[in-house]
Amino acid sequence: MNKFYLWIGLISVGILLGLWTTFKVYTVGFTVYAKTDVLVWTLPLSTYIFFSLTSAGLAFVSSFPVVFGIQRYEVIEKRTVYLEIAVLMGSFVCLLLHLGAPLSVVYILFSPNPASPLWWLAVLYFVYFILLISAFWRIHTGKISKTLGTLIFIIAIFSSTTLGWLLGMTDARAALNASFFSFYFPLTGLASGMAALILFTMVYNKLSGQETTTEKRALFNEFSRLMGIIAGMVAVLFLWRTISGGISSTAVEYGAFKHMIGSIPYNIEFWLGLVIPTVLMLLPKIRVTTSGKIVASFLLLVGMFAGRLEFVLSGVVRPLGQMAEGRPEIVGYMPTIYELFVVLFGFAVMLLIYSLGERFLKLEAIPE
Amino acid sequence: MPRYAMVIDLQRCVGCGSCSISCRNENNVSEGIYWSHKITETSGTFPNVRFHYIPTLCNHCTNPPCVRGCPTRAMHKLDNGITMHDPNKCIGCRYCMINCPYGVIYFNWKDGHSAWKSDNAVIPGVTGSPADEVRKVGGKGAPYYNPERGATLPDIRPKGVVEKCTFCDHRVLRGKLPRCVESCPADARVFGDLDDPNSHVNQLLGKFRPFRLKEAVGTEPAVFYIRDFSAAGYPRTKGGV
Repeated sequence: MNKFYLWIGLISVGILLGLWTTFKVYTVGFTVYAKTDVLVWTLPLSTYIFFSLTSAGLAFVSSFPVVFGIQRYEVIEKRTVYLEIAVLMGSFVCLLLHLGAPLSVVYILFSPNPASPLWWLAVLYFVYFILLISAFWRIHTGKISKTLGTLIFIIAIFSSTTLGWLLGMTDARAALNASFFSFYFPLTGLASGMAALILFTMVYNKLSGQETTTEKRALFNEFSRLMGIIAGMVAVLFLWRTISGGISSTAVEYGAFKHMIGSIPYNIEFWLGLVIPTVLMLLPKIRVTTSGKIVASFLLLVGMFAGRLEFVLSGVVRPLGQMAEGRPEIVGYMPTIYELFVVLFGFAVMLLIYSLGERFLKLEAIPE
Repeated sequence: MPRYAMVIDLQRCVGCGSCSISCRNENNVSEGIYWSHKITETSGTFPNVRFHYIPTLCNHCTNPPCVRGCPTRAMHKLDNGITMHDPNKCIGCRYCMINCPYGVIYFNWKDGHSAWKSDNAVIPGVTGSPADEVRKVGGKGAPYYNPERGATLPDIRPKGVVEKCTFCDHRVLRGKLPRCVESCPADARVFGDLDDPNSHVNQLLGKFRPFRLKEAVGTEPAVFYIRDFSAAGYPRTKGGV
């Protein structure tokens, strides 16, 4: 009991710091971020992308039993759907602190522009959120219908691929512009969604001291192996992105991405987030241990988090047109303390929602 | 309905920056934001060097990626070809800034003209404060405040939204030229209707070989550049090996 409230207290500190940041952003202005007219998208947005793709990845996982009929995954369905909601709420927090005028989002309804991928993304996430809430309610009170599960699966596919369209439309920024990302995003989203589920379940098992059934242990061993395979696939794609866009391309527009190769987020993404988890999860002796699973899934999430930042920065650090006047060829970026608080705010909200659910909503329960 | 465009004659442009200053005055543009700006380059190696100066502004593209990407139609096209922005509908996502290949859209990171709000004297005991200056001339936000800008756009754009050149749509509506065109001492900027075959703009586009910035991205800018200034000459030669 005491440990739980201590945990909630810690999370509350993160939320308070986030609220303080919100106050500063809307009174002082966005100058509290590491703002320049070149670095228009930075850590708050990359964290939003991290959360939203993780949520989409969790939706793919939750579709295993309900859409594809793989019954043995029913035991993790309730936790997965609830975690999707918690992660999505974290993404909304980061998005709100990225937008300059969040109250004007009503114009997405009153002045729609269906030619804009951003408009589609807003609509998809709104529908996705409503469907997730109803799905969880259905699971909590009985069983999710196949129709609802399929809808969530389809929307998760469209939201993660629309993000690829959103960036693929930016003809001026070659490092962002590739239909490649409409494939890369859902796949990396699946990797981070699986990692999130493994991490939260393993930590819960460890902290609660509950005995895990043999079936469940086997399921998570299989699931961890799958995560390792997907991390390996992403690593291969990642290398090809580096070779085609970063090494062999002669286009000057790729200068920003070339700069990012060798940067700290790039190396965290590749080595910590992809290579090490792949190796750990393909070694049976490590894969079957709880600690091995926790380390691999945690590292994969850290890598994906860094990867989203690397991706966003590779599109913006090279100034375009008149923005380049009086500026170096590549503009450096170091997040401010307030940007870090935005990240903390997102994680704190996500963890608060998840912890309350773990405590009061019996996430271990299997749908009837 | 006319389709407005601008031709900038680089042979006539002397790089004085009067376009940028008059734009700032006309549109109450805050510090750090440039509706009218420039791209400068130095080519060659000393002693064979040359300075290039290209004035820049929103290109009011016929196929604008900023308009296509805006989720709320805050960035939109007027019938006369001007790319306009409605700050009331802007959610501040900055996707237009990501989409614009020319870097001409700016975000209001803080309240406009915040430097003019300071009550601290520039030289204590000698000069007044920036806020004193604003009060003295009865300005709003800045001493050079122009209330006419408010006719079609908030006179000073709020924090959290983007802004950019509007071809001085408020002046064009009243039959006046954009302020940068009017203030150019060298008449290097020519404004007019692309759909009128006899407009000055079309006369220049027919007489010289124009170019536009980053034509390869397919945005079809409405700002054209003609000629280039160079007083240099060189003896006739075929080079050597």
